[in-house]
Amino acid sequence: MQKFKRRGGVISTDLSADEVAMLESLLHELIELVSTDDDQSSERPDADHDADDPFASWAAELADDQPVEPPDDPVLRRLLPDAYPNDPKASAEFRRYTDRDLRRKKVADAEVALRHLADTDGGRQDLRIPLTESGSWLRVLTSLRLAVAGRLGITDSASADAINAIDDNDPRAFMVSVYDWLGFAQETLVLAL
Amino acid sequence: MGVMPATSDPVLSPAGGTAIEDRPIEESYDQSPWVTIVWDDPVNLMSYVAHVFASYFHYSKSKAHRLMMAVHTEGKAIVATGSREEMERDVTAMHEFGLWATLDKADA
Repeated sequence: MQKFKRRGGVISTDLSADEVAMLESLLHELIELVSTDDDQSSERPDADHDADDPFASWAAELADDQPVEPPDDPVLRRLLPDAYPNDPKASAEFRRYTDRDLRRKKVADAEVALRHLADTDGGRQDLRIPLTESGSWLRVLTSLRLAVAGRLGITDSASADAINAIDDNDPRAFMVSVYDWLGFAQETLVLAL
Repeated sequence: MGVMPATSDPVLSPAGGTAIEDRPIEESYDQSPWVTIVWDDPVNLMSYVAHVFASYFHYSKSKAHRLMMAVHTEGKAIVATGSREEMERDVTAMHEFGLWATLDKADA
């Protein structure tokens, strides 16, 4: 890809078919990672609930309204961090009100990016991002970089330097090239704004 | 005549009782300031972090850059101060942007 460039209200670049496919695959993985199992079913009462019974729907709502424990997966923990690092109870309470919405926003950003990628027709057309939707791209590129960094074990500047220095024959070399590619996209997108 | 004496208006005393019950709740409400802290991480780009501070908090470019550098060189920086509710909102927004943010009492 070339640098992102802004012309008027649109930011664009060219992507190869491979780059489009790679981004799409990373975005689908991200959606799967941050989606909760009950995302669809909790939207509306399922068949067991009587829609006319206010107590049943009330009970279903209350069942969702519990303190939420931090995720076990370190990548998810970085995407959905504790708000009160020294107070697990307050953090769980905070998650109770924010976790679902934060996950939904990350999925929504990924879906915006997937829509723009679909419009490139597998890289045959330029990727065109309306300025009004550039925020979704900035956020989702960040999520992808955090996810890839987590899988590469980048947790501090020392591990980041070590990953930078790995050799081309290292099994992680491809993942590192993806990480660098995402960084280039992110950096040139910020500069194009 | 059948007219009730004005001094025994029964509506007044329950209302007064309600007001007295409200007071301790307001007094126990924590008004001390809280802060939003953004922590350094090895992943987020400096340009992006500065962009988030400028666009979300409406800080000037130079203030956003200074805060970003503080995060980068000192490991963390206080990026906002306010009520606990306001800081919870800011921390939520920082998490949406993928920044590692927490909140704490200002004097902690």
